[in-house]
Amino acid sequence: MTASVPAGAAPDAGAVPPPGPGPVPPAHEQETFVRVRVWDLPVRVVHWLLVLSLIVLSVTGYLIGNPELHPGGRLAWVTWDRTVHKVTAYVFITLILARVGWHVASPNRWSRWTEWIPASRARRAQIVPSLRFYLFIDREAPPVAGHNPLAGMTYVVLYAMFAVEIFTGLVLWGVEGTGWAAWLTGWVLHAVSLPTIRFVHHLIMWLTWGFMIHHLYSAMLVDRVEGTGVISSIFSGFKFLPKDRL
Amino acid sequence: MNSSRGAVAYGDAYGDAYGDAYGDAYGAPALVGGASGGSLSARLAEAGVERRSFLKFCAGVVATLALPPQFAPQVANALERVDRPVVVWLEFQDCAGDSEAFLRSRNPSVADLLLGMISLDYHETLMAAAGTAAEKARDDAVARGGHIVVVEGSVPTGIPGSCTIGGRSARDILTSCVRGAAGIINVGTCSAFGGIPAAGPNPTGAVRVSDVVGGVPIVNLTGCPVNADNLTATIVHFLTFGGFPALDGFDRPLFAYGERIHDTCARRGHFDAGQFAEQWGDAGHRKGWCLYRMGCKGPSTFHNCPSVRYNEATSWPIAAGHGCVGCSEPGFWDTMSPFYDRLPHVATRDFNLTADRIGLGVLAATATGFAAHGVGKVVQHRVAAAREARDGDDADKADKAEDVSDAAPVPEAGEEGGQAI
Repeated sequence: MTASVPAGAAPDAGAVPPPGPGPVPPAHEQETFVRVRVWDLPVRVVHWLLVLSLIVLSVTGYLIGNPELHPGGRLAWVTWDRTVHKVTAYVFITLILARVGWHVASPNRWSRWTEWIPASRARRAQIVPSLRFYLFIDREAPPVAGHNPLAGMTYVVLYAMFAVEIFTGLVLWGVEGTGWAAWLTGWVLHAVSLPTIRFVHHLIMWLTWGFMIHHLYSAMLVDRVEGTGVISSIFSGFKFLPKDRL
Repeated sequence: MNSSRGAVAYGDAYGDAYGDAYGDAYGAPALVGGASGGSLSARLAEAGVERRSFLKFCAGVVATLALPPQFAPQVANALERVDRPVVVWLEFQDCAGDSEAFLRSRNPSVADLLLGMISLDYHETLMAAAGTAAEKARDDAVARGGHIVVVEGSVPTGIPGSCTIGGRSARDILTSCVRGAAGIINVGTCSAFGGIPAAGPNPTGAVRVSDVVGGVPIVNLTGCPVNADNLTATIVHFLTFGGFPALDGFDRPLFAYGERIHDTCARRGHFDAGQFAEQWGDAGHRKGWCLYRMGCKGPSTFHNCPSVRYNEATSWPIAAGHGCVGCSEPGFWDTMSPFYDRLPHVATRDFNLTADRIGLGVLAATATGFAAHGVGKVVQHRVAAAREARDGDDADKADKAEDVSDAAPVPEAGEEGGQAI
């Protein structure tokens, strides 16, 4: 049943015009597809600031672990590197907390936590069709406006990794003498040693970039197959959806 | 009175230190259990220790304890009046390295001062007595109560009868000696955290002292070996203030384990500047640059080595050009290794991977996997399009009337399959 809807929609998807000014589509296509603001402004702002902060954190963090630059002794560059890492980490933590808060507070249903955690029966019913799409059994992805439930759940995994990354970062802050971080996280050192904390903190950086590969690939795949403009939507906020999908 | 740490250190190192150190070390066993009564001043005078040396010692201990220098006279007064506590020193699964460190306490040293201040009634390595006489001295001391138990080495629990002394197991001796004690001082990482005997695979089932006994104050003076200055300072604190000093989450005194080595290291400036030794013996190593990239565990280790140093403040590992191995931290043998790399490895008999190699491997596998998935999707669409085209042809032959409705999606799907990714 689920496959029949996109099977009918897909041929039309190729004919959807790009967003913004351009040739006005024929009247019958204007009726079939609607421009929907799926990603609200806070989601897009947090998304792109997260991208920026992850790049800065990864580069500075890698250099903290492997200080391979040799600009000479006068620059105190390791200190600067660590300072940038810490300041960016504050931004990162703020972004994550803001996004988690927006999951609860947002009036937009595609920004809410239900987009990530398949709590409703309807969302859970799409898990198997999504799997069938990824496992080459079905040609089309199940019809969704935001993410399919599997895609949503990958963000739960990503945020779990972020949680561990923030926590281990706070442990390392704590041992440097930041009192509140030590108070918050110091207890873990009774179970896990500091070198292990550093190892995990370092490894999750790499895993995050593994997620980035997955994220970019999936965006391109869905963009091609669904033809709803998913890549441009993270800039503009708008997707182009068949009317019957809403 | 000179109260600065540096002055004391130099006075000791360049003054009469070496002669005394040898004399004391050899003289120590004779003094164990043999000190007579009388005031500390009298006993020290008897042993040939000048008053000036005693006051210098008090100033040094006050500095080690991170107390203001004004406390030095108070400490001196307290030590002169105090009743000498009885100390029972137990050795279990150890290498006697902490006893060795104890013998090398700062001048005026063990024999002159610690043994002047305390009554070391039982110490397997140092005591003159042997056999039943030694055991009687120990049992008498324990029976009187109020003694301090110093423990060196971990307690084996996995092999029945191992580490048996005089027919009694380590656990049995420890349990009986702690009864009625004023407190336990664990010297060295083995008794405090299990140490090297408890490192994987821990064949003896070694455990730390606090896993076996409880109910009395415990202070952990970790390190491999313990820094004798910290031991002396802890005992002096006990004698002066009637209790152990403030402790951290691992029951280690904050005066000695409150600062991270990395934060107080003399080479920290080189770390901040990005000046690192990258190979043993390279230019950076010879210049005394930071050992971070050589696997120094100073960033993970809390100890006052950089300021107190070892062997009468002569040196310590990083000053000698070797990275810290984190010996004062729990589980250091397992968790701080490899000692010459910054982060732990994931290693078995067959492979040995660093975090960076695992990470790059994950990235390569992810990229390869998704590229393959993309190819798979293209193939899936092409195959489906070809099948639809064939079905369309069949339908064409079978029923030309249906051709109009069927043919429309076919070229569209084919085009999409070809373009995918």
